[in-house]
Amino acid sequence: MNEHRRQILEMLSAGKITADEAERLLAAVERETPAPSSGNGSQSPVSKAKYLRVLVDSENGGNPYHGPIKVNIRVPMQLLRAGVRLAGLIPPQAREHVNEAMRERGIPFDLSQIKPDNLQELVDQLNDLTIDVDVDNKGGFGQEKVKVRVFCE
Amino acid sequence: MIPLVGVVSVRHWRHSRNFRLWIPLFLLWLLMLPFAVLALPVLFLVCLISRVNPFEAIATFWHIFAALKDTHIEVDNRNALVLIRIL
Repeated sequence: MNEHRRQILEMLSAGKITADEAERLLAAVERETPAPSSGNGSQSPVSKAKYLRVLVDSENGGNPYHGPIKVNIRVPMQLLRAGVRLAGLIPPQAREHVNEAMRERGIPFDLSQIKPDNLQELVDQLNDLTIDVDVDNKGGFGQEKVKVRVFCE
Repeated sequence: MIPLVGVVSVRHWRHSRNFRLWIPLFLLWLLMLPFAVLALPVLFLVCLISRVNPFEAIATFWHIFAALKDTHIEVDNRNALVLIRIL
């Protein structure tokens, strides 16, 4: 058992993380660990995430108008890949406007530099993306907790 | 493969009522096909004016359209659960 796996299991047993989080962490560790070579020099296929998941869990204290809200969105990665190709359809005039606006806001980025290969690489790298947002507000209706999780699976 | 069926499901927690609607999208696409053919020249014209490759535009929109399959959106609150699935 490697060190990372042991640490994750210890965190799980200590109750620091949930079973779901442990599962995802273990999957991430497995992805990082290189698969044993079969000896013929062929590479094992890279496991690609199929979906982008967005989970929102809002516990709205004593608000009488809306109680806890749960949102569960599963978007196919293919849709993201297709969506990023839209950047190639931006007309040149509009692209210049966008570049200028971004430069004014301190983002020196040239949209014409976005190539399908780069976008593909970017989407592929989303496999390892995990975003956890925890908000704990004290509002008029009591304590409001919002948990947002964005990850690929 | 393009999406063939859409499912909209609403479950009311208070009244314990379920409502599930299966939408045969393939019929919708068939119905929209004549309109798409009519819209094609307009799309070509718009692409030419904006100096965008029309074939690339059609390919991109087709990819987005086809990639909608397997989309799953679920919103659950105290009153109801709304589920939208594209199959």
